[in-house]
Amino acid sequence: MDHPVDMMNIKAFTLVSAVERELLTGDKEHISIECVECCGRNLYVGTNDCFIYHFLLEEKAMPTGTTSFTATKQLHRHLGFKKPVNELCAASALNRLLVLCDNSITLVNMLNLEPVPSGARIKGATTFAVNENPVNGDPFCVEVCIISVKRRTVQMFLVYEDRVQIVKEVSTPEQPLAVAVDGYFLCLALTTQYIILNYSTGLSQDLFPYCSEEKPPIVKRIGRQEFLLAGPGGLGMFATVAGISQRAPVHWSENVIGAAVCFPYVIALDDEFITVHSMLDQQQKQTLPFKEGHILQDFEGRVIVATSKGVYILVPLPLEKQIQDLLASRRVEEALVLAKGARRNIPKEKFQVMYRRILQQAGFIQFAQLQFLEAKELFRSSQLDVRELISLYPFLLPTSSSFTRCHPPLHEYADLNQLTQGDQEKMAKCKRFLMSYLNEVRSTEVANGYKEDIDTALLKLYAEADHDSLLDLLVTENFCLLTDSAAWLEKHKKYFALGLLYHYNKQDASAVQLWVNIVNGDIQDSTRSDLYEYIVDFLTYCLDQELVWAHADWLLQKSEEIGVQVFTKRPLDEQQQTSFNPDDIIRCLKKYPKALVKYLEHLVIDRRLQKEEYHTHLATLYLEEVLRQRVATDSKDIEATETQVKLRRLLQKSDSYRVHLLKEKIQDAGLPMESAILHGKLGEHEKALHILVHEMGDFSAAEDYCLWGSEGQDTACRQHLFHTLLAMYLRAGPSAHELTVAAVDLLNHHAREFDATQVLQLLPDTWSVQLLCPFLTGAMRDSIHARRTTQVALGLAKSENLIYMYDKMKLKGSAVRLSEKKLCQLCQNPFGEPVFVRYPNGGLVHTHCAASRHTTPSSPSPGTRT
Amino acid sequence: MRKPDGKIVLLGDMNVGKTSLLQRYMERRFPDTVSTVGGAFYLKQWRSFNISIWDTAGREQFHGLGSMYCRGAAAVILTYDVNHPQSLLELEDRFLGLTETANNDCLFAIVGNKVDLALERATEGGEKEGEASGKAGSCVSSKVPRQVQPEDAMALYKKILKHKMLDEREMPAAERMCFETSAKTGYNVDLLFETLFDLVVPMISRQRAEEPSQIVDIASCKAPTRTRSGCCT
Repeated sequence: MDHPVDMMNIKAFTLVSAVERELLTGDKEHISIECVECCGRNLYVGTNDCFIYHFLLEEKAMPTGTTSFTATKQLHRHLGFKKPVNELCAASALNRLLVLCDNSITLVNMLNLEPVPSGARIKGATTFAVNENPVNGDPFCVEVCIISVKRRTVQMFLVYEDRVQIVKEVSTPEQPLAVAVDGYFLCLALTTQYIILNYSTGLSQDLFPYCSEEKPPIVKRIGRQEFLLAGPGGLGMFATVAGISQRAPVHWSENVIGAAVCFPYVIALDDEFITVHSMLDQQQKQTLPFKEGHILQDFEGRVIVATSKGVYILVPLPLEKQIQDLLASRRVEEALVLAKGARRNIPKEKFQVMYRRILQQAGFIQFAQLQFLEAKELFRSSQLDVRELISLYPFLLPTSSSFTRCHPPLHEYADLNQLTQGDQEKMAKCKRFLMSYLNEVRSTEVANGYKEDIDTALLKLYAEADHDSLLDLLVTENFCLLTDSAAWLEKHKKYFALGLLYHYNKQDASAVQLWVNIVNGDIQDSTRSDLYEYIVDFLTYCLDQELVWAHADWLLQKSEEIGVQVFTKRPLDEQQQTSFNPDDIIRCLKKYPKALVKYLEHLVIDRRLQKEEYHTHLATLYLEEVLRQRVATDSKDIEATETQVKLRRLLQKSDSYRVHLLKEKIQDAGLPMESAILHGKLGEHEKALHILVHEMGDFSAAEDYCLWGSEGQDTACRQHLFHTLLAMYLRAGPSAHELTVAAVDLLNHHAREFDATQVLQLLPDTWSVQLLCPFLTGAMRDSIHARRTTQVALGLAKSENLIYMYDKMKLKGSAVRLSEKKLCQLCQNPFGEPVFVRYPNGGLVHTHCAASRHTTPSSPSPGTRT
Repeated sequence: MRKPDGKIVLLGDMNVGKTSLLQRYMERRFPDTVSTVGGAFYLKQWRSFNISIWDTAGREQFHGLGSMYCRGAAAVILTYDVNHPQSLLELEDRFLGLTETANNDCLFAIVGNKVDLALERATEGGEKEGEASGKAGSCVSSKVPRQVQPEDAMALYKKILKHKMLDEREMPAAERMCFETSAKTGYNVDLLFETLFDLVVPMISRQRAEEPSQIVDIASCKAPTRTRSGCCT
């Protein structure tokens, strides 16, 4: 299998020499390394000529960031056989080294390599494995599983300081070749397959077939209840004690010799290379050329490889460094997988800080590639200080912001110009992203502490992009910094928005002045075409009277009708002391007659103020207007103008104006209707009706007059008016035919307003009943109705009377028995004569006691009176 | 690493499109795939459950691994190629045996993939028939544009239930568990996986309910009862 220089490689390990050739075999060609063991700083090497070497390893960090090892030889010892040392395993708790040589496991002292005096040993072992997840509670005892020289047999031993004890012997379905132990579970490579065997229960489970004759099997415990096995086709298979696979396999070369684990990597050795795969994504991450290797083992996280002549250590690069390398080559996905995978190997607090930073870096990488969705998710989940992002955009952070980018930096970009290399389209995309991002986070807790920076930046972006949300931002709660934002808005000619900003910062005067300038055309901003109306509306709801006064003239000059709304449309709930004085307003409006009329209408009609001056003033203004119109049109239009209608309505409805004054003004003006109304107001109904009937000949107006003239008055008054009118009609005699018809119509239409008996006496005898039929029917109906309602009232009154009588009878009805035993409730003396006073509650007292009680209020009360 | 709550395994002959089906569902794309080595899996969150979906290697070389992958599976998707009758036969001959290690109540889905090719062929009037049927064996007439009919899959499904001694009435109907899909166009792919998820989830819940709870309920604990924890005893 060839190993191309993979672009996806990372540097996870460096290979360093640990034991120089000279220290071991020197130039003796026939001597070779058979096995190694590393325990803390102790490194043991077993050779084919039955020697054990003991070295002390010294680790040195090099200034280049790598690590170097120097091994110092402590001693070496010959075991006394002519066989190679097959396997070594240290049991540091016992201070013993387990040595497999010549099918026998002996115990030697870890320091002086002397065999234990007891000579304890396990005989007949072809290979062995120590249980790293022991089930025996004794800390001074290790559990060892051996594959016996006996056919198809494995044995469990407990190994103590100077003795060994067999625990269990289990036979296997086929000849076992390799073993690893976890708890009660043995993972065994048999001749044709791998199995999991529970040596306590004897139950076994097949994993998968494997032809051990073609390639030597590998069984390697990689963690709690999980093993790594060499599978078909050069696969590194994972299997748990339950017989299932929880990780996808890694793909090694066909001729793999050994495997080791250094989280999160699986390392494999073949005759030419050391390969590194990630357990997290199963990808091959690194390939190191390494010829003639034949041992690869990990010892408590330290990975050692050996050829027959030399020992080397695979030094892992710190995970953080690896992650940074990945990030530096923009491999975000892998970096994140590695970082997540590192969670369990790094203390929680440290991890969180590191992981957050990695997410943020990853976010910036995605950002720089305009992968905004991914970037946003990374920024969000890492709770990025938003200012890191804002600071990429030139001029967005307020000048007052104390922010400095975190060190070391999260990315390599000075600013957006560098990042986009001046590409305007990219720049715009980045800005749009920041807009949406800031808008999203500004109301979340990420914004806490930097709300000013965020909102100011957002304002700047909106202003620059001419974005509609600029106004929304300013009219809702925001933290835009005034000076910075104002300068920016001015720069981008967002004067209307600037006004809003001023308003938000309680500088209404500046705001209004700015808007006025826009309306006047002194400065240009077309944000609102209805800005004048906006200002009116704004000032209408503005509590600052000074400000309203300051701009009142300007507003009215622009438009009297609309401008006056600042006075007429003010909210009514305005507090009394802050409200405007109408007299001041009227004074101000003197110059603006239309506005004045509107305002007076507001006072008189909307607010129903009954002040005489306002009513008189308004009536006068109406009158003047009517007269002016008269002059202008120069014709006596029969149709009343709008103003005239208003004038009449006011004259009719209002009781507050000075009638005489108006009467004077109206004289000779040729306004009969108006003068009729004024007469009416003075109670001169005769005169009023005369005008209406004889001068104007407007009978329906006369009828109306009778109705409104008596509005709010009693029926007698109304009747009086109608009778007056009727009399006026009849007085003219039958010759005035028109008036006769009017009289008939009046009677027939308003039958109820007349006293029928009186009317009948007035009418000429010649009138037929038919003519007056509606009147007579109405009068009759009315009379009957009156009679009936009176009867009902009478009946009700009678029944009420009855109820009272009943109550009275009840009270009087019961007899009062008076005897010697009965005492006066006031003086507690018996009654001497058959005279007493009885209270409604039934208490009896002497008449004199009752009398005195009323005169002396301090006397005791005769019980509760109900 | 999140621990999966349930497992679904894809089995089937090489080149029937197991990896493509899974990639179409998980990544919404149809890239060129290479022959799967060993196996791979995806974790899919479905409601509150994590379901692992294992893609296995169809190559004979990795056949031995199938049994282990199927161990504890809640559902097995048996995949064939509708244009290769042999791939359906292989399901019964080679792959059914691997499912012995799956859960007793394991569900089976039978999926005929690559229907897009079958349709094309129907319109093209069977140009490539000879080649295709030559490979697949001569048991199917080359006149028939499509080589495997849905009925064949349903017959296999019923056979499987009989073989597993499962009660046909308690298992989902054959019509429901036999699919024809196209990983290339995405046809029926979501339906396949999501039907299975919806069937598997209640099974997982049931298993959970049967298992002793991993959560200690402090409130309802009357007396501290010693439980054997696996550690150092």
